[in-house]
Amino acid sequence: MTTAVAEIEDGLGTLAGTGKLLRFQVRRSRMYLFWWIAGIAGFTWMTVPVLADQYTTAEERVGFAGTMSSPAMLSMSGPIEYVNAYADSVGALFTHRMLLWTGAMTAVMFVLLVTRLTRADEETSRSEVIRSLPIGRRADLAAALLLSTIAAVVLGGLLALASMGLEGGDGSSALLFGAAHTAIALVFASLTAVAAQLSENGSAATGYGLGALGVSVLLAGAGNAEGTWVTWLSPLGWSQLAYIFTSEQRWWPLLISIAVAILAVWLAFTLVAHRDFGQGMVAARRGRAEAKAGLKSAGALTFRLTRGLIWTGVVTTLLLGVAYGSVIGGAEDFADGLSEAQQEILDRGGATIQLSFAATFVSINAIVAALFGVLVIGRGRKEEIVGRGELIAAAPVARSGWPGSYLPAALFTATLTNIVAGLGLAAGGASGDGELAGKILAATLVQLPAVWVLIAFVFAAFAWLPRAGWLRWLAWTWTLLVVYFGALLDLPEWAMAISPFDHLGNYPAEDFSWAALFVLTGVAVLFAALGYIGAKRRDLQFS
Amino acid sequence: MNAVIRTEGLVKRFGHVTALDRLDLEVTQGETHGFLGPNGAGKSTTIRVLLGMLRSDEGRAELFGGDPWKDAAELHKRLAYVPGDVALWPGLTGGETIDLLGRLRGGIDKAKRDELLERFDLDPRKKGRSYSKGNRQKVALVAAFAADVDLLLLDEPTSGLDPLMGAVFNECVKEASALGRTVLLSSHIMSEVEALCERVSIIRKGVIVETGTLAEMRHFSRSRVRATLKNPVRGLEDHEGVHDLKVDGLEVECSVDTAALDDVLAQLAVAGVAGLTCEPPSLEEIFLRFYGDELAASGVPNGEENGS
Repeated sequence: MTTAVAEIEDGLGTLAGTGKLLRFQVRRSRMYLFWWIAGIAGFTWMTVPVLADQYTTAEERVGFAGTMSSPAMLSMSGPIEYVNAYADSVGALFTHRMLLWTGAMTAVMFVLLVTRLTRADEETSRSEVIRSLPIGRRADLAAALLLSTIAAVVLGGLLALASMGLEGGDGSSALLFGAAHTAIALVFASLTAVAAQLSENGSAATGYGLGALGVSVLLAGAGNAEGTWVTWLSPLGWSQLAYIFTSEQRWWPLLISIAVAILAVWLAFTLVAHRDFGQGMVAARRGRAEAKAGLKSAGALTFRLTRGLIWTGVVTTLLLGVAYGSVIGGAEDFADGLSEAQQEILDRGGATIQLSFAATFVSINAIVAALFGVLVIGRGRKEEIVGRGELIAAAPVARSGWPGSYLPAALFTATLTNIVAGLGLAAGGASGDGELAGKILAATLVQLPAVWVLIAFVFAAFAWLPRAGWLRWLAWTWTLLVVYFGALLDLPEWAMAISPFDHLGNYPAEDFSWAALFVLTGVAVLFAALGYIGAKRRDLQFS
Repeated sequence: MNAVIRTEGLVKRFGHVTALDRLDLEVTQGETHGFLGPNGAGKSTTIRVLLGMLRSDEGRAELFGGDPWKDAAELHKRLAYVPGDVALWPGLTGGETIDLLGRLRGGIDKAKRDELLERFDLDPRKKGRSYSKGNRQKVALVAAFAADVDLLLLDEPTSGLDPLMGAVFNECVKEASALGRTVLLSSHIMSEVEALCERVSIIRKGVIVETGTLAEMRHFSRSRVRATLKNPVRGLEDHEGVHDLKVDGLEVECSVDTAALDDVLAQLAVAGVAGLTCEPPSLEEIFLRFYGDELAASGVPNGEENGS
């Protein structure tokens, strides 16, 4: 006690106790940090040899460069400068293919980490206990950011080690690859720290952080597709623009990330001193004294509680669809510029380049749409964990209503966002071409049974294994992995077949099978039924 | 006697922890029943089993004669529940929450709702996230008291309320009781239970250790007697029903078993009484008797001797 007081008097002031808090935060977050860092670094570690084996010769890489240099593929990977370096550098191929995604995962990790360490604790009054100790007003933010910085450096170091074996580039390339992730981590950690001060609560802070990530992915994609300056607006883009493992390699774009991070940290520290504990900078508004007539059932409540998420999903998928659509629109021009050999690779199966792009985009749209459904189920679980569902469960509501109504809400959300994405894709990609628009929309609908299987599975997992929240993320991540990296990583057939999206055919590039759609719908119904049985049988675990 | 709540040999385990260990509880129609026990004794678990949120591992539980697990939704039409720690939806206002809970039950009496808002001094336009603990509690209380139900399940409902609101709460429980409603009031605030409850059950480590009316419980307990005598008294120290005897000249102070009371008073009368007070045991004292060993284990000296 006396030493702590002395520390304050020593002039540390608002930062007093940061060291103690840091040790405490490390202890609390060690499992979180371990799994995330192991996941991202481990994924990179495993991918490096696979990719290196697959593209050993320069010819193979040049051939691959042909596929990768379309605006569509560039928008989902990185700048064209990497593609130009494929022939000389496996590392360039690797970085091009991976950086956007490992960078995005890194960003997610740090957005969640900072919210966890700051606002989430305030809401549960855990940090109220801490603030009452002789600890400075800014100390918990300082400890959170220090811990984030340490984690960012460790992650960067491991990624540098993992990519050390890649050929191409000079000795510092692997180090730069790691530093590129550290830079992304620092930017998103500090931006989330600002968001945590501005927003009223932790979930809003997470929302702002992930929203910033979404915008970053879109901007990087839009810029990279056509090689424009738009990439410079994206924090993920700054790391990509370091042209790692290419002959044009440079460090200085990372300085932008560092500068933005420092600016954001300064802003967060300024804001934290100006707001009250537990409050945001934006004061809560007063609301209605009485409920609207429609709010009269558990289902209506579920819809009301997920409304914000549904709107976020609609806007995100619309933007995504239109962005991908513009790529389809430019596909013909792009194909004209290719050599015959390259066109041949693209025209696999005899489909036009537009149709094969459309096939790829509809499945990515569907997986993003499914994400919003998975998030809705996650909300249901959260209602249980924080105990809010208890008031509803004590009312005359059957288990099929609560928590059961989260399944229809999730199915509705995913179906709606998928269709919105398809409309955006058709609007952006098939201007005036009614037939193409029709095919895109049909392909969008073909995705739905697979989306439903994923959602229903996640609901069944929530009903039977409520504590295994990782299961829903594993399921969703797996479908994403199969679509993005399945062919690239040469995953075995059975492993790909676990993903429901693997059975849809590649429509409109190839045909789809009605039988598969019926079977998938049947599987979804089975999972849903299983879920309802589970929801009826198990104890509700309110805090 | 019509039992609204009846459990027989109720067992609930969480992994290796046995939360309820053959619990027998009975609450008859129309009574206000106190459910006493410290944190972790199993009060909330019992109530959640009665609400069909948890499934019992052994034994029987009955609510209005029905099965609380199977017929949960149907039975919930007849009851209202206030949890010990009310979590509200951050984006919904208090008023919206109260209306929703009322409508789930088939409608809400608006006049009654507004009257209760007034009495509990609650602003219905604030969002859930900006209410303090006490105000969150009030939202659930207004919703429960406004409901036209036969049973109120109140799990430590006054935690976080200030004394003024505690008084309003007591009024509301009395009114509900006057309307013939059955109330199960789980609490560890003795004065509240003493003021409101006709019968009391004391739970300890998942078992009901004592149940009965306050009068019955007092009968098996001791009264505190203080007397100023005219002449010294003898023989009290040898009396079986006398405990904690302190004699300071003509001042006498002791605890007396209810059964020995007339005997002791007769002896005092023989010595001549200048002043006398006789306090019945408070519920708190009764309660602490059941927890004497736990208090001793935590290093708190127990005022009462262990029963002879």
